[in-house]
Amino acid sequence: MKVEMFYSPGCSECVAAHARLRTTAQEAVKNLVWRELNVLDELDYAVELGVLTLPSIAVDGKLIFTSMPTVAQLRTALIERSKGRE
Amino acid sequence: MFTIGKLASLTSVSNDTLRYYEQEGLVEPAGKSPAGYRLYDKDSARRIRFIKHAQNCGFTLAEIRDLLVLRGRDKACCGDVRTRAVEKKLQIESKIRAMKAMSKALDELIADCANETQPVNECTIIAALERANVKTPVH
Repeated sequence: MKVEMFYSPGCSECVAAHARLRTTAQEAVKNLVWRELNVLDELDYAVELGVLTLPSIAVDGKLIFTSMPTVAQLRTALIERSKGRE
Repeated sequence: MFTIGKLASLTSVSNDTLRYYEQEGLVEPAGKSPAGYRLYDKDSARRIRFIKHAQNCGFTLAEIRDLLVLRGRDKACCGDVRTRAVEKKLQIESKIRAMKAMSKALDELIADCANETQPVNECTIIAALERANVKTPVH
């Protein structure tokens, strides 16, 4: 599973939140690829996926969250999707 | 202090637009003259220029109101404003992509129209539009 977080470099609080989400995702799903993408470096790809607000999270190339999820929301979404793949 | 007319000429904005901005909570007079006329100061002129520039960058008045709140908030950081600017760019890029797709669709319709002298009931563009299974955009 590939999780991509689109972000715009900002405050230190956001960096801490990203780290918490990354840890949660890696604990929830095995063999997970986690990418953090500066949206300005990946603008075409972000527009292609429909990213309009930040941060946004795509899973396997599909936009899942269009704002910062809670740790619990991300964990639930990833576990649900990994079940669907089995 | 300036009257509304003076502020209008300083910022190249009409009196009506200034009243509209005031109605929308974007700018407010710094005071009133003894005769009851609205009076504005240099900060009002700065705000008007800020609003105009932000409009030129594609921000709506509602978004500009948020930016003005951020501008005056002690705890807001530059990153908050930058994120809003980046989100606006994403929206504009998305619209450009949608417009290009529309333009391409029109190219195809125009190219399919081999004979512009045909009667309208044989028009290939109209026929193509009637056949089209238009997808509803997802928001």
